[in-house]
Amino acid sequence: MQDGLPYILPIIFTLSIVIMLLIYWFGGKTAAKGSLKTTHGKKATYACGEDFPVEEVRVDLERFFVFAVYFLIFDVLAFILATSFYTTGLIPIAYSLIVLAAVAALLLARGARK
Amino acid sequence: MTLEPLISALQILIFPGAFFLFCLAFFYEWIDRKFAARVQNRYGPLFTGPSGILQPIADFFKLLSKEDIVPLAVDKLLFTLTPILYSALPLATLFTIPILSQTGIMTFEGDLILVMFVFTLITITVFLAGYGSMSRFSIIGGVRATLQMLGYEIPMGLAMVGPAIAAGSLSISAIVQWQWTRWSWMVWLQPLGFIIFVICMLAELELVPFDIPEAETEIVAGWRTEFSGRKLALLRLGKDFELVLASALVASLYLGGAQPIWSVPSVIAFPITFLLKTVCVVLLFSLLRAVFARFRIDQMVSGMWKYLVPLAILQIILIQLGIGR
Repeated sequence: MQDGLPYILPIIFTLSIVIMLLIYWFGGKTAAKGSLKTTHGKKATYACGEDFPVEEVRVDLERFFVFAVYFLIFDVLAFILATSFYTTGLIPIAYSLIVLAAVAALLLARGARK
Repeated sequence: MTLEPLISALQILIFPGAFFLFCLAFFYEWIDRKFAARVQNRYGPLFTGPSGILQPIADFFKLLSKEDIVPLAVDKLLFTLTPILYSALPLATLFTIPILSQTGIMTFEGDLILVMFVFTLITITVFLAGYGSMSRFSIIGGVRATLQMLGYEIPMGLAMVGPAIAAGSLSISAIVQWQWTRWSWMVWLQPLGFIIFVICMLAELELVPFDIPEAETEIVAGWRTEFSGRKLALLRLGKDFELVLASALVASLYLGGAQPIWSVPSVIAFPITFLLKTVCVVLLFSLLRAVFARFRIDQMVSGMWKYLVPLAILQIILIQLGIGR
């Protein structure tokens, strides 16, 4: 299958999305339609029976941001390690030790802030 | 020569392709449910088919025939798109795994990177599903899924890269062939990486020690609280495909993949070996999920960074020193 390589990746991704769309469409055709009269409770989001205003639901992005930055840095480090298999030996080892020191520094800094 | 496109189409659609993977997804869900139930001294699926083997299919069609309730507050586009993406992504990625021969249908240099990318994409889909649901349980579940990903993504990437460094290639098929020519599985060479990879796959699959994003006792059903009917059916299908993908990855990277245990490589031997090895991995997953209890989210993230990331880096250093390659 090596010769058809440029086409096979988009074909397979499109095919699986099409299969799922077919299932979705089939589900829409066969599903029970429900009664025409809908109450307020049926179309409300689940809230254990309490009335809860929608506007108060929000993601705390500020706390999230710090984690995301750490993650980005370490993901780049991991990918540089991932592509290191052409130069084996001392350089990747030194690089891994630097990453390890960075993880230790991160954990110590978090401990000190507490 | 004119038969070749036909054979390719049959391969993609029927045998190691879509139809076979659907059957595999339902079958592995049954194995997982039955085995976990037997470990916990329950019966598990019992009535549909012989010892309940058709239960996942019955569940799927029952959910398809249920009413699809869309709450008023949701973001309609995200709410519709995320179940389709969540089930399509693992199905497409499964084509990179070699099942029928030494190479998969969608094999190219660097498909390991594609698999890592898809795992991240699935978590982002989960976050969007929770975010688009506009329910507090869903949003808490989505945020927890993303936080959990920040914990396990780095050790998982490093544990996937270990076999790649040893085999000198970033293609899953090449790693499988390397294990075949060396006559040794990666588990014996890199046991630390295997353990880390299994733990990270448990976290990726949201199985019990790491089922924080959908903890039933805390946040109803987590990020999938608002989904019903056909959308819930697609979400469950996507979860089954993820189970197949995770077990196939563990088998391919660390257990020698579809290479037969005995020395006669024939057309039948490859799929049978693949099935045997992946079923063993699924049994391992369900045993772990039946035995453990749930972690808290802070325990999970800090445990991952304190223990798993240094151990994964240690494994990389050991490989670079020449141990385990």
